[in-house]
Amino acid sequence: MIENEKLRRADFVTSIILVLFGLFILSQALQMPMKDTYGGVTNVWYVSPALMPMIVSVVILGIAILLLVNSVRTGGARYFFESASRYKFGVSDAGFRFLATLLAIVSFVYVYIPRVDFFLDIILFLLYFVSVFYLDDMVLLKKISVFYLIGTIVMLAIAVFGLDTSLKKLFSYTVDILVLLFIVGLWAFERVSVGTDPVLRRKVRITLILSIAVPLALCPIFKYGLLVPLPYEGGILKLMDLIRYSVFGR
Amino acid sequence: MEAVLSQFGFFFQSFGTILFNPMNIVIVLAAVTMGIIFGAMPGLTATLGVALLTTLTYGMNITTAMLALYAVYVGAVYGGSYSSILINIPGTAAAAATAIDGYQMALQGKGGKALGLTTSASAIGSIIGGLFFVALSPLITTFALQFTSYEYFLLAFFGIIISGTLQSTDLVYKGWISGFIGLWLSTIGRDGLQFYPRFTFGFPQLDGGIDVVPVLIGAFGIPQIIQVLKDRVIIGETQKFKRILPEFGELFRHIGAIARSALIGVGIGAVPGIGEDIAAWVSYGAAKNSSKHPETFGKGEPAAIISTETANNACVGGASIPLMTLGVPGSPPAAMLLGALMLHGVQPGPLIQTDHPGFIVNITAIIIISTLAMWVVGILFAKQVVKILRIPQPLFMPVIAVLSVIGSYALGQNIFNLYLMVIVGIVAYFLTEMKYPIAPLVIGVILGPMADTNLRRALMVSKGSLMPMFTRPVSLLLILVIVLTVVSQTKWYRAMWAGIRLRLSSKKDQG
Repeated sequence: MIENEKLRRADFVTSIILVLFGLFILSQALQMPMKDTYGGVTNVWYVSPALMPMIVSVVILGIAILLLVNSVRTGGARYFFESASRYKFGVSDAGFRFLATLLAIVSFVYVYIPRVDFFLDIILFLLYFVSVFYLDDMVLLKKISVFYLIGTIVMLAIAVFGLDTSLKKLFSYTVDILVLLFIVGLWAFERVSVGTDPVLRRKVRITLILSIAVPLALCPIFKYGLLVPLPYEGGILKLMDLIRYSVFGR
Repeated sequence: MEAVLSQFGFFFQSFGTILFNPMNIVIVLAAVTMGIIFGAMPGLTATLGVALLTTLTYGMNITTAMLALYAVYVGAVYGGSYSSILINIPGTAAAAATAIDGYQMALQGKGGKALGLTTSASAIGSIIGGLFFVALSPLITTFALQFTSYEYFLLAFFGIIISGTLQSTDLVYKGWISGFIGLWLSTIGRDGLQFYPRFTFGFPQLDGGIDVVPVLIGAFGIPQIIQVLKDRVIIGETQKFKRILPEFGELFRHIGAIARSALIGVGIGAVPGIGEDIAAWVSYGAAKNSSKHPETFGKGEPAAIISTETANNACVGGASIPLMTLGVPGSPPAAMLLGALMLHGVQPGPLIQTDHPGFIVNITAIIIISTLAMWVVGILFAKQVVKILRIPQPLFMPVIAVLSVIGSYALGQNIFNLYLMVIVGIVAYFLTEMKYPIAPLVIGVILGPMADTNLRRALMVSKGSLMPMFTRPVSLLLILVIVLTVVSQTKWYRAMWAGIRLRLSSKKDQG
């Protein structure tokens, strides 16, 4: 019953979002050429690029309105306003775990991959992502997440203010070195945070081994086996190239 | 007759050519094992397995690539039964029905027997599916050659509607919304006829449209990773089992159930956009209804797991029928196979027999080789594969996240695809939480260009008239099926049917 109540409450919110989304598609479609000439082609409504977006928008609007009516009829609107009036700010344990997952994935893709050596990106990502869940302790999850978040904000600030470009002018791999230091710092922080508990210390050790083993296996497979250039090749991958060419000669 | 014999000759030639290359044997065994692991691990799916492996097949020839991808598909559909039987958590949605009786058998100390039955039943299902694929595909391609733009538009539309209808677990609207969001995503980029930029928001990276692989990986991978870690999915102790034997005697006793389930699997697999999970449930229901002892279902009935596993694996061949003959994927993993085929320069559709002679027979040989590999790995190495289930999810899922990232990047070598993957993944997570099915969204993305281009082309030919849609028999049939699918979800339609049934039963009673 509670599950159903939650669903109808969510339906009320999503149906409103979907109505707005449908209107957005329609407004964009109306700006597309319907009768005028585009690229030397005189349009008629049935070959217009707006045709499919219009159909999609009308269908989404129609279904979203049905969903809205259904959610109001089944009490979704009432549940929503009741829960909104009772709402107290707070994040549950599951909420923290969700945020930690989001932090790991979003920072990996949007902050680190575009500007830091891919090998180091994977190590940092796994070192954080694996440890917060593998250690299975909410206090540690929060502590490690805060440490990681601060480091990521610093990295983001460096990128936003264009400092990474200036640092790279000084020495090509300065940003990689900074991230390497962050990795070492994160690992040391995890070691200190788990204290002397042998089980947790073992878990930190396993996390570190996994974090290094995965890029060590994946990067050569993709770079040399499948000949896929990696997203950002910095110091470590250049070093890998150097070793490969010195050993294999090509 | 001569044509049939020559097809048989070509089949054995393909079979031999593939098997005589030792590298192919290594690849098929590795891929099937990967598939079983993906199927057995709760949170990982057959679609994600096929999507991730597609990246690695880019440099391979088409036969080897399809061998690897079909092996993962067949293996993953079967692998779901491991965790269903041994820990009562279905590894994939397709194996959910297997858990009901499979786990009961394991509790009774018959885990080995249950695994033996599912291994052999899955193999039989896949082989029957493969045979139906090769038998029906030429007929459908001949028939589909008569299709014009109207039929293609309606077929794509039908795929989205039927997938949305059957995949919804809450309100049916949600499946349709999901499908139409996918259809909208497919309109992003320059349109196919006039190259007008639609919904590109000034990003040149969106001009070419959105790539299917990052959307698929995002939609199927990211929500699973978030869900498993957020909900702290902990895999319990696996039930012990002894030897796994093929259990041919028991299978022979249920030959009727096998035949019925295989037909259900092929039939449901061939319907665009719905897949193995529905086939397994329908087959379970049919087995229970036709059993002389329905009360034994749910208490460790071998017929139940034989039926579900035969049906879900028969879906592989069934889903390949519309995929290869019409370019319409029959199931979510088949949607990924479509993407892989296009990457390798093969355009599935009615002309496939002309453009790539022998391709369908080749794919049949691939399905059967993959099935044999699955059976061998299942019978001989199940105990070793089950050990993978002991790896804690917090160690496994982050590695899958890395593979998803590298998989999304590798095909287009474009960081923008990663940004897209994360956005699609987060949206898909919230949609999943609110019971919006994700498969129709993906089907919408895949079938969208087909619907868009063919609708406009059709209207161009008829100068804006919709009448030809109603005068052409196949398109009229498709319109009727679409309308019936939508109308059948309304309250008054159900009330009407309930009334008819009531009248019929009261007449029977009077009689």
